[in-house]
Amino acid sequence: MLSEILIIVIRGIAIGSIFATIAMSFNIVHGATNIFNFAQGNMFILGGFAAYFLANQVGLGQWSLMLLLTGLGIAAVVAVQGYITLLPLRSSVEQDSWLISTVSVSVIVAALLMITQGPFAYSVQSVVPSFRIFGTRTPGAYALAIAAMIFWFFALRYFLRRTFIGLAISALSQDFDAARAAGLPVRRLQLISFAISGLMVGTVGFLVAPVISVSPDAGLKYVLNGFVAAVVGGIGSNAGTLIGGPLVGVVAMLTAYKVGGAYQDLASLLVLVLILMFRPQGLFGRVGARRV
Amino acid sequence: MLEVKNLVAGYGTIPVLRDVSLTAKAGEILLIGGENGAGKSTLMRAIAGFNKPDSGEILLDGKAIGGVAPEKVAQSGLRLVLDGHRVFPELSVFDNLRMGAAARRGDRAGFNNAVEEIYSVFPILKEKQKLYARDLSGGQQQMLALGQAFIAQPKVLLCDEPSMGLAQALLPPILAFLRRWAQTGTAVVIVEQHLAVTAPYADRAMIIERGQVKFSCLASELDEKLNAPAVAAE
Amino acid sequence: MQATANVQTGPVSMAETKPKGRFNSDLTQVWIGVALIAITGFGPVIAGNSYWIHTFQLVNIYIAAAIFQNMLFVDAGQKSFGQGAILGLAAYVAAILFGLHGWSFAAAAMGGIVAAMLGGLLFALPALRVQGFHLGFVTMSAAIVFPQLLVTLDKWTNGINGISVTVPALTNPIVGSMSLLAIAVAVFPMIALFVHYGIRRSKLGRMMFVAALSPEAARSLGIKPGVMRFTAFIVASIGTGICGILYLPTVAFVSPQGFNIELSFVFFFAVVVGGRGQMLGPIIGIWIVYILPNILLAGFVEYRLLMYGCLTLVAVMAFPDGIVGSVERLRAKRKQTGGGEQAFRIDGFLADLQAGKTVREPSEEIAVEVRNGTKKFGEVVAVSAVDLKVRKGEVHGLIGANGSGKTSLLNVLSGLSRLNTGSFMINGVDATNMAADRIANMSLGRTFQAPRIFSQMSLWDNLKIGIDARVGPASADMTALAKAMEKSFGQDSATLLSHGQRRLVEVMRTVLKEATIVLFDEPAAGLSQSERTNFANLVKFLSRQMGKTVILVEHDLDLVWGIADTITVLEQGRVVSSGKPDVVAKDPAVQHMFVGSRHA
Repeated sequence: MLSEILIIVIRGIAIGSIFATIAMSFNIVHGATNIFNFAQGNMFILGGFAAYFLANQVGLGQWSLMLLLTGLGIAAVVAVQGYITLLPLRSSVEQDSWLISTVSVSVIVAALLMITQGPFAYSVQSVVPSFRIFGTRTPGAYALAIAAMIFWFFALRYFLRRTFIGLAISALSQDFDAARAAGLPVRRLQLISFAISGLMVGTVGFLVAPVISVSPDAGLKYVLNGFVAAVVGGIGSNAGTLIGGPLVGVVAMLTAYKVGGAYQDLASLLVLVLILMFRPQGLFGRVGARRV
Repeated sequence: MLEVKNLVAGYGTIPVLRDVSLTAKAGEILLIGGENGAGKSTLMRAIAGFNKPDSGEILLDGKAIGGVAPEKVAQSGLRLVLDGHRVFPELSVFDNLRMGAAARRGDRAGFNNAVEEIYSVFPILKEKQKLYARDLSGGQQQMLALGQAFIAQPKVLLCDEPSMGLAQALLPPILAFLRRWAQTGTAVVIVEQHLAVTAPYADRAMIIERGQVKFSCLASELDEKLNAPAVAAE
Repeated sequence: MQATANVQTGPVSMAETKPKGRFNSDLTQVWIGVALIAITGFGPVIAGNSYWIHTFQLVNIYIAAAIFQNMLFVDAGQKSFGQGAILGLAAYVAAILFGLHGWSFAAAAMGGIVAAMLGGLLFALPALRVQGFHLGFVTMSAAIVFPQLLVTLDKWTNGINGISVTVPALTNPIVGSMSLLAIAVAVFPMIALFVHYGIRRSKLGRMMFVAALSPEAARSLGIKPGVMRFTAFIVASIGTGICGILYLPTVAFVSPQGFNIELSFVFFFAVVVGGRGQMLGPIIGIWIVYILPNILLAGFVEYRLLMYGCLTLVAVMAFPDGIVGSVERLRAKRKQTGGGEQAFRIDGFLADLQAGKTVREPSEEIAVEVRNGTKKFGEVVAVSAVDLKVRKGEVHGLIGANGSGKTSLLNVLSGLSRLNTGSFMINGVDATNMAADRIANMSLGRTFQAPRIFSQMSLWDNLKIGIDARVGPASADMTALAKAMEKSFGQDSATLLSHGQRRLVEVMRTVLKEATIVLFDEPAAGLSQSERTNFANLVKFLSRQMGKTVILVEHDLDLVWGIADTITVLEQGRVVSSGKPDVVAKDPAVQHMFVGSRHA
């Protein structure tokens, strides 16, 4: 019984790591642009489809190469999407258009997948072997999910604090006007942040494909849970997502275990509503906007 | 170097500047004074590209920059230091200086020299180079903001109220730094309310009132002009 | 087709010597919409084509739902991606009660509408705390979860098999081939149009709109933005719930598949493609977004989601006003009135008000008093132990450098922020802990540095917000003033007003509100010299002729010295000098403020 709960918690943490990575990918774009990309979930699923078509039952070498190509490919797709999204914001006073355009891109990606692949869930073979925890076989992709979260957390940390471009993106989120006055190439930095968010969700989608439902309609589930993870952790706080993501994952798994699998998304929705009602800045977020 | 002709600008639907003209020459400091709300900050922001001018011309080295995005203006050699000692609070002091290099192409050695120069003028920045900028005092943040602009080596430097939020005593070293900077061939424009402290460092002065140029003169004549009986009100 | 004729002739029935174009074509659009719905609702029935009957019944139900989405999205500013779930909730609850539990259809319908309201409540609660994309995610999540629950709760819902119902009483013909249902389905979207139009023309609608566009302006007019959002969600969910009830006999079947998130997207996208905020938008929008892929290109029905997405993306990129909005903008550009020097002048109105009034001097009574007030933002002390007394009927100038705490103090007085320590009273009542809307209702009005003028509303509606915000009945003077202004500005646009005119509109709004205490936040910024002179006269008029108490934060010292009875000087949050203008001018503590001009 106890070990059963432990296994569920571990799986919850693993699933939650996916949410956390998606939440971090939200954060980098939101920091640089104030935009929340509603299409991020479908970009994530694109990574899963790439794993199915490019790297199902292949050797480690080809798998690694395809992982890289998938990441870069989806980074390019999201950068193009970002370019389109930013276009109307350039001149007009209309600052809400991104909400509509990212939602419609999300619908377009899902529709394209539906048309070309049908409404089926594809199963992907794991390249990493499963391992045993408390006597239960656990798919290797769970370990990959956690590893990916940790990797991206530290990679982003390094990028945002050590590299010139990363520092510039941080500067953008701290004081937009001062960044422009300093001559930082705002538009290019924003596109780079979109591309990085694509790289993140693309690679993670690829890595965890064996343990998720790779289907055209699954994207929404991940964009939702990723958002809940971001809100729980406090929007803008990557460290917060490390707690927020696994928390949401564990809640979802425990709900599935105690109540039923169909209630997972309902549980996430309830968590979201409760947090927004009682602690809208998140568990670890600071009150007030940082941008001056 | 910088030439503004008949500028009309504001923010949103609010007109603030009406027909303002000015020139800033290389090697000189132009001091712009005026009461609060006279439109000095709007003038700086319009020149730097933050507000689109409704009419008029802004020429940098003869090239029109009116309506160009602020980051492009900065890259073409005109650098605005915003008022309120705005730095990037969550970046270290050194990284704040690094951001200055965005408006400057390439050359690593030049960057290092510029940083060394800033550190020698403001040793406190070197001392605190690893701290977050948010941990500096207001005066130190102003030094940092100027240092960041110095790294870019702009042709024209606009400096909006360097004294804002600082103790008065901190102003002279900052002004002295700007004076030396100007002498290297940079055109410097300072917006200030503390005219008496600032005027000795400036070459020319200009007073703005209600969005219009009231008069301009040599900085040395400013005091005399301000106290002239022509403006006796009541 | 009189309605269509109207659109071409534009201003038809303006009982004025000089006819003006209508400010907006809302009413014309409503009538065109009614005509279009009548044709599609009754046409196929008369023609006896059962395929088109059924198709357009569903289309018209969706149109009604999109109309409520339009109201919610634009008039109340609430971005909901979950209206399909509200519709489905009503339909499903009614189906369960009617089809599985044998309730009467009327009772089941009531149950369905109540369920829809509860669903709307679920959206409204988070909307009290958060807005924008947060709310988008919450409502979208609800739309994702809803069909999942329908499948899972199969004990009550029949799960994936759905529920079939027949309601012969509604679907059997009563007159010719016309059934009750056919009439209801055609009439309800028309009602929805009139409800939307009615709300927009009403006090509630204007208050909702102001709350959506500028919550702080709303609060300073005594409006609670939360209540407005709440009301909007409830109205929209009742309307959308009725759509769900009509859906039931029309389709005769409900299943989880019918209410997935796609349905919510259809409503949202229809509003965007048709034209956000346009009365006719949802009709044209549903026709394009829904009919195009599902009926005209039915052979490619699997491409419908792709078409929804692409149509919407193209709309946002290429014509953000939507189809109807783009047409309307061309019309409005041609017909727009209200620009130029004479666009908004109030001298005449003031002269009328002045007639027979005596000049009043400030009394010794205290209108506003601050006692030892301190306001901090984190470490920064914006207002520090301030004592301030403002007499009734006086003009009180607050001056000081940038960051000296003037605007912070003004925000405290109008309730937009709260003192950390100390207290303040308005007309002898402790208002320290009152919310902005309560303070506003104690007859306080204010203006903002950037005038809160809403270009989406006509000039007159911009003024009328003041009347809407008034507490108690209007005085005879004000009623006459309102009448005169409505006549002059009823169809004018506020877009072309100059900044100075906008400022005046905002002042007149507080006059119409009959605020007895008026706070001005840097009113002279951006005014020309002559406008400043006019403004100074207006302030004197408000004080001396109308007996209002005026608190004025202003940088233009000449202006302040010209009109103020008392001047208080702030420096770094503290009062450094206060008193009559000539006394303050001689105070050495304030000498350094004067650059290039003197008041001594």
